[in-house]
Amino acid sequence: MRLADLIGLTPAMTLFGLFILLPLLAAFVLSFFRWNGLGAPHWAGGANWVQFAHDPVAATSLVVTAKVVALSWVVQTPLSLALGLFTAGHQRYRAVYAACYVLPLLLSTAGIALMWEALLDPNFGGLAGLSHSLNLGFLQQNWLGNANLALYVIVAIIAWQFIPFHTLLYQMGRRQIPRVLYEAATLDGASGWQLFWRVTLPQLRYTIATSSTLMIVGALTYFDIIYIMTDGGPGYTTRVLSLDMYQAAFQQDQFGYASVLAVVLGVLGVGIAMLLIRFTGFASMESQQEGAA
Amino acid sequence: MSPARGSKPKSASRRWPLTGTGAVAAVASLLLAACGSAAGSGHSGPGTNGTSVTAWIVTTGPSPINTVINQTVSAFEKSHPGDHITVSYVENQSYKQKLQLAMGAGNPPTIFWTWGGGPLKQYIDAGDVQSVGHPSWTASFLPSSLGAVTFGGNVYGIPIEGTQPVYFFYNKTVFAKAGLSGFPATWSALLADVRTLKAKGYIPISLAEGDQWPGLMYLEYLTDRIGGPSAFDAIEAGQAGAWSSPAVIQALTDIQQLVRAGAFQSGYDSLHYSGGGSDALLYSGRAAIQLMGDWDISQVLGLNKSFVTAGHLGLAAFPAVAGGKGNPSDLAGNTASYVAIASHATSAQKKVAEAFLQDELATSSYAKASVGAGEVPVISGAAPLFAGQQLASYDSTIYSSVQQAPSFQYSWDQSLSPAEATTMLTNLAQVFELSQSPQKFAATMDSQQGAS
Repeated sequence: MRLADLIGLTPAMTLFGLFILLPLLAAFVLSFFRWNGLGAPHWAGGANWVQFAHDPVAATSLVVTAKVVALSWVVQTPLSLALGLFTAGHQRYRAVYAACYVLPLLLSTAGIALMWEALLDPNFGGLAGLSHSLNLGFLQQNWLGNANLALYVIVAIIAWQFIPFHTLLYQMGRRQIPRVLYEAATLDGASGWQLFWRVTLPQLRYTIATSSTLMIVGALTYFDIIYIMTDGGPGYTTRVLSLDMYQAAFQQDQFGYASVLAVVLGVLGVGIAMLLIRFTGFASMESQQEGAA
Repeated sequence: MSPARGSKPKSASRRWPLTGTGAVAAVASLLLAACGSAAGSGHSGPGTNGTSVTAWIVTTGPSPINTVINQTVSAFEKSHPGDHITVSYVENQSYKQKLQLAMGAGNPPTIFWTWGGGPLKQYIDAGDVQSVGHPSWTASFLPSSLGAVTFGGNVYGIPIEGTQPVYFFYNKTVFAKAGLSGFPATWSALLADVRTLKAKGYIPISLAEGDQWPGLMYLEYLTDRIGGPSAFDAIEAGQAGAWSSPAVIQALTDIQQLVRAGAFQSGYDSLHYSGGGSDALLYSGRAAIQLMGDWDISQVLGLNKSFVTAGHLGLAAFPAVAGGKGNPSDLAGNTASYVAIASHATSAQKKVAEAFLQDELATSSYAKASVGAGEVPVISGAAPLFAGQQLASYDSTIYSSVQQAPSFQYSWDQSLSPAEATTMLTNLAQVFELSQSPQKFAATMDSQQGAS
């Protein structure tokens, strides 16, 4: 490595080390201590890790987190892709739709959570009102209080919040595919579906990889909406790992145990991101348009 | 939209929700705080012969008591030339974290706000709090009001804002329409009224269990009425098996009986109190009853003024339970809000802080001013102060019930350690959802005993 490279890398590496590596390392060290945030931490050996292994709440949180990640990806990817392809067209009406789709991106997360909480309120909420006036009984649900529903409602709201962003990614991705590819394929007699499967999708490979990585890692550490709307309830049904960590640290004052959860969360996040990059070939960054340009 | 959205009643969240924001940011700030404890406020100002002191006071927005506190501080500075108190008002939701970080970093304000109980004890154990000892001037407060800040015979905090006991609030119009003569005095009569109200198409009781602490009020009162104050004393003292005592099991069973009777509105387990939804049910006449702290009066006043001023909001003590050991005059709730002195301050700062607590807060003139701001102070002989106040009849009732209460149980989630309290709240919410049996709850809590 040349000296110039080292100098060039220094600012980025300093920031990375200071704000990513150092806190992660500190959390790892802290996970071997008992500390309530006051006074000096006490050495606890592996006690916090043993507690983690036997903690039914942590086990539930892992399962809930896995569900949120999987469902988020399954729900958001096809919808974002479809909307992205639709809004990639240059017709004016599509631009109007695109502007509407992007609206949720402009709202703050807390605002989204409070708005949906008000809409879903079984007594005064908008959905309950619709159910009365349109005689649609199924809308009269205890959306956030029903243990069988709450998680799916949360996943749906997270999707509502983030689909616009991923739609933009796919829209840009689609617009960057050279027109000649479609023209050539059409000349060869490809149908609309074949264009999608043989041209669009392969060309969007890196967009899908980027979007999926953001989605999965984002869902893994998702916190705000769940914290505001259900705070993990009813029971433990929406208690994701990040919420469990927050509770352990800032409501139960068990910073050592919370650090265990933080390390688990951090390792899972980094691990999954690295796997995704490896399997999608994203790291190699080779062109997908051999011979086209 | 819930009708209360957007309005900001003074006491919307006078409870200490165990909350805050941004776990990651907080971890980062904890680390930063740990690194940078040398700088910052709380040290005596240079160049003057007086002393500078900082104070953190919790608030939920501009409220009359803030003005009273500011005036009191100005008066103190006038009578103590050179000394200076800087008051910072801190938002309620984030206060606990902010204080925890400041304490952990060894850089708290000289005077800090506290609700007493378990969290204050944690600071005392860590050597962060300066006791004011047990001087004679503390006797000017009602005896029950200093329990939450008295440890080992020493007083660690002085009341700064009023008392907040929990009562049943009810819609008198709904009661009249349902043919009920008055609020029931016994638990079995309450159950009968619940059935009557339900049969007439009303929601008997509104409950904001999405916050988890409103349900705890039922457990606190029922345990007291059934087993007397000693039942929780045993729990607080960490006695083995205390959670499985017959009183607690019976109280939990009674709660589930209430749930099974359909007493609560649909979606009670996800409704949040601060949104005003549970109050809206009450004043709109859809629900008849709510169990809540006395801050609910000013919250409802802010949401629907005429409902309160026309006298439709009834206030009643928690009913007696047949054969129970507890005195029906016993109260539960927050005895008061306090300020305490951090041991990190210099001795000159501590002196100023103590003088402020003694010369200003422990006086009848401060009590009088705080009554004017809508508080019910815990100082002795405050009864005549309420005359002419907007909520005089409520204030007098509350004050005399505090004065006469043989026991005023401080809210359990504040008395226990934070770890035990959060486990209790989550599991109790499951009891309210009928997804956990009283025995399971007791077993879980017993196994948690002494968790720190």
